[in-house]
Amino acid sequence: MKNFIQKIQSFFYLLPKTLSVFFSKAVTRPFPFDSADIPERYRGRVAIREDNCVGCSLCVLDCPASALELEKESKTNFRLLHYRDRCTYCGQCEVSCRFDAIYMQNKYIGPAYDREEYSVVLVDRKED
Amino acid sequence: MKEIITLLVNILIFPGFIFLLALGMGFHWIDRKLIARFEGRIGPPWYQPLADIIKLFAKEDVLPTGTNEIFALLLPLTSFAVTLTAGYHMVGTLSGLFTSFVGDFIMVIFLLSLPSLLFFLGGWTTSGVYSILGGNRSLLQYFSYEVLFIMAICGTAIASGSWSLGGIFLAQNEGSPFIKYQVVGFLMSLAGLIGKLKRSPYDIPKAKSEMVMGPLTEYSGRKLAMWKLADFLQTLAGVALIVYCYFGGLWQPNTIFGYLIFLLLMILLQFVLSIISAVFTRLRIDQLIDLNWRLFIPISLLQNILIIVL
Amino acid sequence: MSKITIPIGPQHPLLKEPLSFRITLEGESVIESTLRLGYVHRGIEKLAQTRTYIKNITLFERVCGICSHIHTTTYCQAVEGLLDLKIPRRGAYIRMLLCELERIHSHLLWLGVLAKNIGLNTVFMYAWRDREIVLDLMEEISGGRVSHAINTIGGVRKDLTQTQIEKISLDLPVLYEKVRELLEIVENDRSFSARTRGIGYLSPQDVKRYCVVGPVARASGVDIDLRRDAPNACYAELDFNSVTMTDGDVWARAVVRIMETLESIGLSQQIVNKIPAGEIAVTAKRKVPEGEFVSRSEAPRGEVIYFVKSDGSQKPKRVKVRTPTLTALITLPAQLEGLQMADVSTVIAGVDLCIACADR
Repeated sequence: MKNFIQKIQSFFYLLPKTLSVFFSKAVTRPFPFDSADIPERYRGRVAIREDNCVGCSLCVLDCPASALELEKESKTNFRLLHYRDRCTYCGQCEVSCRFDAIYMQNKYIGPAYDREEYSVVLVDRKED
Repeated sequence: MKEIITLLVNILIFPGFIFLLALGMGFHWIDRKLIARFEGRIGPPWYQPLADIIKLFAKEDVLPTGTNEIFALLLPLTSFAVTLTAGYHMVGTLSGLFTSFVGDFIMVIFLLSLPSLLFFLGGWTTSGVYSILGGNRSLLQYFSYEVLFIMAICGTAIASGSWSLGGIFLAQNEGSPFIKYQVVGFLMSLAGLIGKLKRSPYDIPKAKSEMVMGPLTEYSGRKLAMWKLADFLQTLAGVALIVYCYFGGLWQPNTIFGYLIFLLLMILLQFVLSIISAVFTRLRIDQLIDLNWRLFIPISLLQNILIIVL
Repeated sequence: MSKITIPIGPQHPLLKEPLSFRITLEGESVIESTLRLGYVHRGIEKLAQTRTYIKNITLFERVCGICSHIHTTTYCQAVEGLLDLKIPRRGAYIRMLLCELERIHSHLLWLGVLAKNIGLNTVFMYAWRDREIVLDLMEEISGGRVSHAINTIGGVRKDLTQTQIEKISLDLPVLYEKVRELLEIVENDRSFSARTRGIGYLSPQDVKRYCVVGPVARASGVDIDLRRDAPNACYAELDFNSVTMTDGDVWARAVVRIMETLESIGLSQQIVNKIPAGEIAVTAKRKVPEGEFVSRSEAPRGEVIYFVKSDGSQKPKRVKVRTPTLTALITLPAQLEGLQMADVSTVIAGVDLCIACADR
């Protein structure tokens, strides 16, 4: 008799679980109308602490996607550019920097209509 | 003059074209929403089937070279027209618009069994590897599950002693609804309906992971929209037929309260269909045919013999 | 009966990645099948010769999306072997933690794909819902859900904080319960067994002949597990069982993978309890001395081998990668003989395919 009950139960094994999921809250969240919690360590936008950067170009050498560019004329006159569409958001620049200047925030990058909006000037120093 | 206008309103608006389409899309939405809630998702909003059909009508219509273009247009059109007629007759009888005549039960069953045949022929016209293989399987399934559905639902006609929908309803009205004594027949006709509609677990002709869409692989644009609409209406008419034949005495025709109870029973049946879709895996074609001829048909045969004897 | 050839071609709703099959049917059973790869070949090994060792870490992470961490771990182990570095124990423990979490996520993904191909969409959604717990944990630790970027030559980059350890200890028992429910469904449900038992059988002699590795071999009774036989990165200090079954069909592979998931959850809990204090990385030189090194480790699908040869400069001379999916793909024509058309999708899903790994 117990064998028979077990046999019948094996046909409809998923049924109780399905009904319990039906009566509880849905797991998915409708994103634009609901918030997404992003943890702190998320590798999002690349940002810089301007006072610490000396233009040593360690980050430029180590970037796997060649997304950083340094136009340097002297120690106090340089520009650091970041191409957001080439960047892979791996975080190698943050690890290679010895002066604790470049870092990643946890904001995500939105879409844009024009490609020019994706080349961002991080540091523009012109003290002569 | 007044009769022509009433006729036009009947055919086009209620209980005709627009009413049936709206109801069919509504039931399809209920199905998708229920399946999504069983899986833990939220599901589509109420206008989703309408948006799908509008989008399909706006797309380009391409067919492979060498197909017979006239047939490829006629088949979905006929399928759509046939299911519309079946639905119109059922809703018309229900609302007392026209009286049911002897033999209209058989007419509705015949009309509801045509779309499966046209489905297979649709795959045969646009020949491609997936269409022909899917068509072969759908033909096998058609032979088996139509027989099961007709045998099971004829049990009610035999018990009521007449071949008209009105007669079946009257027999249940005087006595008790047939569901009380024919539970087995009800379950068998449900299984037959799932096989006819090609829903999971019997959706091997349309299985996306094997035959890309079965016989409908090569259709696109308006023709695909018509196949889908025929599918919605076939579901609607099939569910309405089962509720009519088995739950007859529980509602009174032509009253608001009666309509509401009928709608509620249809939604309940749709719930049962959706939960069966969610719980079982898709069966292989040999397992399907095995199950049908070894288990279901002998049981429904036995049920019919018992009805005739008792 | 006439023969038909069906293409399960490069684009098909069944496959996640492009792969070309030509199956010849006679009636309903398969007589022969041919296989063709190369649709996702990106030339990664050649590309690795033109970039420095540090830039190659990011390159090898993108060989495969599902097993990305294990590729970088094996590569970094090879370069550290060339440099003769010993990484600190806390770094090794963090590497192992992410390896095990990745194994859990890969197996749950595979269960969902198998259920979808059979037709059971509900189990697909349930398995992927449980996978979200693991992905959220990995995002907290490393910063990305699928691409972690936590390895560097000489150790790891980010440390585990105390709040993260507490969160992991809270989430893991919840996950254990849910995976146990999935195991009960796979073992007991009648319609699941009807579609997967007895299909795609591989005998132990075939496993040895085709050099199959991973859960496919363990499901046929051959007990090879690299974490126990050749342990890397402090696996020798933890204790776990390796799961084998003797059935050899798709159902046995499903059971083996889910039980391995349960073992991995236990292992992660051990790692989090036993993690020592200390540094997480040592600095590594940029120029690597001459030599060759072979390093291997156990990916979710089997054994991954990396061979790195250097000639004294900052760029490697040759890197060769052998991934486990290639061994499983070779057995597919043998498994598919005599089956029905409807079982082809079950077999293809049962051998966990990752064509991006196989093509590089």
